[in-house]
Amino acid sequence: MKNKVLLGLLVVTVAVVFLVGVCATNSLAKDKIVVGMARPISGWMAVIGDSAFRPVYETWVKEVNAKGGIYVKEYGKKLPIELLIYDDKSDVGTMTRLTEKLIVQDKVDFLWPACGTAFVFAQAPIANKHGYILLTAEGGATQVKEMLRSLPYVFVGLSFSDWYQLPVFAELLGEKGAKTAYIMYVGDLFGIEYSGVAGIEFPKHGIDIVGISSVPPGAKDLSPIIKKAKASNADVFCCFGYPDQVLPATGTSIALGFNPKAWIGGPGANFGFYHTTFGPAVEGVMGFTSFSPKQSAAAKELADKLYAGKPEEIQDFWGHPLYWASLEFWKQAIEKAGTLDQKVIRDIMATQKFKTVLGPTWFENGLMAKECHTGEIGQWQKGMFEVVGPKKHATAKFVYPKPPWPKPKPKK
Amino acid sequence: MIVTFLDIVIAGLLMGGIYALIAVGLSLQYGVARVLNISHGEFIMIGAFGTWMLYKMVGINPLITLAMCGPVLFLIGFFLHKTLFRSLLASSASADIFEAKSMLASFGLLFIIQNIAILTWGADIKSYSYLNYGVNLGGALFAANRLVTLLFAVVISTAFYLFLAFTRLGKGIRAAAQDPRTAGLMGVNINQVLALCFGFGAVMAGLAGGLLSMCYPITTTMGMEYTIIAIIVVVLGGLGSIVGSFIGGFLLGIIGSIVTYIEPGLAMVSYYVIFIVLLLAKPTGILGK
Amino acid sequence: MDITTLTSKKSLVWWVIILIIFILLAFVPLYAPGYAAILLISILMYVILTVSWVMFSGSTGYMSLAPAVFFGVGIYASAIIGGKLPFPIVVGIGGLASFCLALLVGALTLRLRGIYFAIFTFGLVMLMAHSLLFWELHVTGTRGRFVIVMGYNTIYYYLLGIFVLLLLTAYLINRSRFGLALQSIGQEEDAAAHTGVNVTMLKVTTFAISAFFMGAAGAVMATKWTYIDPFIAFNPFYSFMPVVMAIFGGMGQLFGPIIGAVILTYLEEFLITKFAELYMLIFGTILVIAILYLPDGLVGLIQKMWNRYSERKHADT
Repeated sequence: MKNKVLLGLLVVTVAVVFLVGVCATNSLAKDKIVVGMARPISGWMAVIGDSAFRPVYETWVKEVNAKGGIYVKEYGKKLPIELLIYDDKSDVGTMTRLTEKLIVQDKVDFLWPACGTAFVFAQAPIANKHGYILLTAEGGATQVKEMLRSLPYVFVGLSFSDWYQLPVFAELLGEKGAKTAYIMYVGDLFGIEYSGVAGIEFPKHGIDIVGISSVPPGAKDLSPIIKKAKASNADVFCCFGYPDQVLPATGTSIALGFNPKAWIGGPGANFGFYHTTFGPAVEGVMGFTSFSPKQSAAAKELADKLYAGKPEEIQDFWGHPLYWASLEFWKQAIEKAGTLDQKVIRDIMATQKFKTVLGPTWFENGLMAKECHTGEIGQWQKGMFEVVGPKKHATAKFVYPKPPWPKPKPKK
Repeated sequence: MIVTFLDIVIAGLLMGGIYALIAVGLSLQYGVARVLNISHGEFIMIGAFGTWMLYKMVGINPLITLAMCGPVLFLIGFFLHKTLFRSLLASSASADIFEAKSMLASFGLLFIIQNIAILTWGADIKSYSYLNYGVNLGGALFAANRLVTLLFAVVISTAFYLFLAFTRLGKGIRAAAQDPRTAGLMGVNINQVLALCFGFGAVMAGLAGGLLSMCYPITTTMGMEYTIIAIIVVVLGGLGSIVGSFIGGFLLGIIGSIVTYIEPGLAMVSYYVIFIVLLLAKPTGILGK
Repeated sequence: MDITTLTSKKSLVWWVIILIIFILLAFVPLYAPGYAAILLISILMYVILTVSWVMFSGSTGYMSLAPAVFFGVGIYASAIIGGKLPFPIVVGIGGLASFCLALLVGALTLRLRGIYFAIFTFGLVMLMAHSLLFWELHVTGTRGRFVIVMGYNTIYYYLLGIFVLLLLTAYLINRSRFGLALQSIGQEEDAAAHTGVNVTMLKVTTFAISAFFMGAAGAVMATKWTYIDPFIAFNPFYSFMPVVMAIFGGMGQLFGPIIGAVILTYLEEFLITKFAELYMLIFGTILVIAILYLPDGLVGLIQKMWNRYSERKHADT
């Protein structure tokens, strides 16, 4: 009797195992462009995924579809975009599996990026192997330059330390006569890279690094580090970490009256929620950026599309414009190709220039050319995150030294 | 020199206050109700988001919100025990089985609560600035909001300790913690006491969350990190010892502060080293017999 | 099916069935559509983790939350030495490294009982992640590592091979006096010790053997993840899942954990792709319901239903 039960169970198991393969379906008539993504909807990366690329692609897809979609000559009509989004649980293993599912089983027309540098690193070789274009969003690092040579299908949209931001920052500081810097960095790929690049770029402009501390992700109390930085009397304080570090580092700097001449924190200071958290106290704080709505009519229009009528918290002046420009670039490459063939589109993306919200935009060796960028370093001035470097894109003069934090008035 | 010493010790106490509060909560749930609540951190998250929401949207002072969050979380915890954990208790053959099952059930709760929170509040980071100015303590400078959290952590824990020591219900809880069967025989309504303890544990977590939100940015996925801290402290103080958890919280805070002073990169490592070494050397905790 | 029933009269039938299943599994990459093989890799991974977890925790009653540690050690080993040595050796080293770590951990900790052991092993996951991070930052100056990528078929056959080895080991252990002694620890440890069983040696050895398979699986899986760092490798989630899967399937039988792992992996895949926004809510609810209403797991429930059904049939006739 018992054996019969188990026999039944075995049959069930086998059936489940083999049913798995049967569920692949794909429509024949081409009436839409299916774009697949494995995104961190749950888990610890959701914090980033939810506020970085998501609002941009949601707004963009809605806008494109409202106009009928992307015109593809091969089909002689506009094809609307349909998103197929899976939850990778913030787990790299799951993300790689879902990426394969999107490619192998769902046979999506295009792949959009996973969230986070490590995730992009893991996803890029897979996309490339299958000949799928991967235009990345959140994530990027100096290592990517080496990597991209062997990955012709991967294009990196977000700016990162040595290629773009820190040389500009060091030059700005050098001109103003900054002599010393204290660096606090989060103990991960991002933090190591930024502190390492700062170690190369700062001395070029006569800035000594007088102190450096790493904090492990999850460490709460930053006051010992802020106190050391204060004691070092450095001109410049750098907090190379995520909002998790940048927000408490700012709060602690204010409370302890640590007033360096320049205070930079990113990613963190570039977000709207940074301003809403500390209010006018953020005056003079610096961060990384890529544009300002003041720069052009197109920039203003984008800011309105993304932010008008929404809480200030969601604003992001570093990532959002670059993600948007990447999507615009991608769409024009498809229209130019007139087909959905990845190889043809890739070749166009690698060689051609298109006009995006940033102006003429193109990719060099898989990286968005730094000449396309309309800003690298930003500074809060009168409630606006102004571009202060490089100078040709500046919307405001770099204020140095930054005004001290407002003297807090204890209530009562 | 003295300032450095004060810096380290006070910073340790400030962290320790929060640790103590969340650990006392978990200690109640594990020590008395025998539920190693993996979703403890989710209650911290609920408290933190409740406080943030009321402050941002209605402008209610976070310290007042603490008083409002308490009863809500108590009810959630109380009914969770009355329904879920009580029927697990009834169906488990032995205490070991109940511990394993209730831990896994709380793991499921973690999933449920976190998903609801993400649907409600989104997954992005939230923060606000409250009482953010320096206070000078004998030359050492600290943020007022963190001093307030310490003050409240101590007041809440002490009040709760007095409740345990001097009220009839409190005595019942302590009796149940030591020996549930005898307590039952002596006329303590054991199911009621266990549910109360679970509820109180949730309240502690929620209050700690509210206090945390005044000093640190919060996210809907932050729970696990605090659950782990709470487990470390509870082990440090001795599983089931409420006073031990209280002391353990401060101890861990001070150790963390010393290590951070020497090498910030090792702060988290030191927590786990202490935890592992203690479990090996003296599994009953610092106050254990 | 207690594994001992395999020795009974009908055992031949069972052997044939098992053999057929494995032959079918062995040819999956040849006839199944691409993604089925990829999903099967995932399923096999969880099955290996779950069965090796049950091998130790199921019989001794010590609830280990260490799978993520041993799995992670394998992953990391693969990231460090992968590409420098032939792949089979890499997998072997991944397993052996976990084996050795488990010997050490086991020798140190197995005197801890009940929840202490669970908590300890859980802390170990976090300790590994954070110490490794510190080491990588301050000593090697890297955080993440690229892993040599392997083809799906290679990964699949390696996992299948590990799975077969694991089943054979589990079978042999159950058949031997070793297994009997192990069961006695689960039932009454002190009594077992008094009857002359070398309890510590037994526990540590089994713990290490189970760790070997987790480590080997980790070393294989890393090649599919392409890029890892300490927090990716040592993810506490991989400690909880095998426990959940084993309990969901039912631990009384060898097939319970396998069924649990297969169904839950499949369920998870279904939810994260079809109900991405609600995945945790639904998964958590199913978990809670299973713990509440399936005390002996899915296998226990089916058995109970079958018994009831057959009783009624007998009553009718």
